[in-house]
Amino acid sequence: MRAEWIIESLLRAAALASASVSVLIFAFMAYLGYPLVEKGQLGNLFTRPWLPDQGLYGIYPMIVGTLWIASLALLFGFPLSLGYAALIQLTTDRKNAFSRFLRKVAEIMTGIPTVVYGFVGIFLLVPFIRRWLGGGSGMCILSAALLLAVVISPTMILFFTDSFARVPREHLRAVDALGGRPAQKLLYVVLPRSLRGIGCGLVLAFGRAMGDTLIALMVAGNAVAVPGSVSDSARTLTAHIALVTAADFDSLEFRTLFACGLVLYFMTTLTVTTVGVLGRRGEARRP
Amino acid sequence: MNRTPPQTERPKITVEHLSFFYGGFRVLDDISTSFGEHRITAIVGPSGKGKSTLLTVFNRLWEDIPGVRMSGRVRIRFGDRWEDIYAPSCDLPALRRRVGMVFQTPNPLPMSIAKNVAFPLRLAGRRKPGEIARRVENALRAAFLWEEVKDRLDADATQLSGGQQQRLCIARALVLEPEVLLLDEPTSSLDTAAAGVIENLLIHLKRRCTILMVSHYLDQVHRVADRITELADGRLVERAA
Repeated sequence: MRAEWIIESLLRAAALASASVSVLIFAFMAYLGYPLVEKGQLGNLFTRPWLPDQGLYGIYPMIVGTLWIASLALLFGFPLSLGYAALIQLTTDRKNAFSRFLRKVAEIMTGIPTVVYGFVGIFLLVPFIRRWLGGGSGMCILSAALLLAVVISPTMILFFTDSFARVPREHLRAVDALGGRPAQKLLYVVLPRSLRGIGCGLVLAFGRAMGDTLIALMVAGNAVAVPGSVSDSARTLTAHIALVTAADFDSLEFRTLFACGLVLYFMTTLTVTTVGVLGRRGEARRP
Repeated sequence: MNRTPPQTERPKITVEHLSFFYGGFRVLDDISTSFGEHRITAIVGPSGKGKSTLLTVFNRLWEDIPGVRMSGRVRIRFGDRWEDIYAPSCDLPALRRRVGMVFQTPNPLPMSIAKNVAFPLRLAGRRKPGEIARRVENALRAAFLWEEVKDRLDADATQLSGGQQQRLCIARALVLEPEVLLLDEPTSSLDTAAAGVIENLLIHLKRRCTILMVSHYLDQVHRVADRITELADGRLVERAA
């Protein structure tokens, strides 16, 4: 009894400590970003352009850039991942070796450092996009989104395969025994049963795409302007933080980073909450 | 030891030198027999000795299990043609539409009652709503379930009782009008009353198809089966029905 109590208290303390870290980060950013509010800059943050020489520190272009790149990455990555996961599912029926191989590849892909993708992108993808667009540097939203799609796909693939694997065996056997072909099994039973998992995977991947720094930093071009098309160069919030931090440590310009941090914090919280709600609703529906 | 069945019945399924292995373990040992048309054959015997495996030989459902091996020849007579179901030319989905199977635990799919029964028709590519509704009703009537569900065909199938779910699974197997029906301990998850309904149903169903059934309950087997055969040490031994 006593040992159990000690373990429980320890675990609770650990949980509280890690939860308070994220609250503390929030408080820290709010505190350090406060001078912006004091100088009446907060409203301007989201409307003004980013012109530090003129004392204008708007992060709106970066918010737009982040949303463009993350959404496009999801648009490219989602069909790819769903198809890949479906292929894993279809091949499990016949011989396990091929589907295990496919899964292993996706697992290894999650382990490759993002900078490697960025590096490869600069040498392979960017020149190709440059030629294809017929001008410019090739460092643009399209390049970043394509590359980011590759980065976030393994997360989605593994998430999708896991939710496919949770479909009860009896259901699969029922379809088999009724003369269902593997593709019919996937379409009529596995996919409808996995909608929740697919939704969660999508939202998580979107969160990852928004949080990724290096890809955008390396191949999106980092221009501080509201992008008008996918061939425009853009800067994401994360890349912005990285770039400004590299140059400066104590100025109003630097202070705006806390606003960037808060916006990212807010977006991430929103995605995590969405996943939580999706998960809970799915559980409630299960008898 | 394999006694040939009485001459009066017409064989529906013949098995020649059937052996079955799980890894190095021989579950079925050189079985040769035949099963009569429109008969209920019960396979009894101790658990874990391959009775369920023997059933899956007739719809080839064992083939997805890794590490198993089969040898021998299994033929089923569809109409007047004998078909070797392990021949490369055999169309597996078509075979499984003509050899239905019902499992130990009812396994309705997570959809409505009507959709569950219509599901095999959908798999077979039948799309005419009128035909589907007619065949669903016929199958539910044949499975003694129509009167209980006719007012709630759109309700979720998982809301049915265990016995109703099992009859739903029988209806689902019947909707394609299979010539052979395989039943793997169809009443073992049900109470006596629900099991009684299904026993009664099986006796009616033998007019439509040839039934092979695995069961633990000897009294049940004696009530419904025309032939009782025991699987012991990989071989079939006939018992008095």
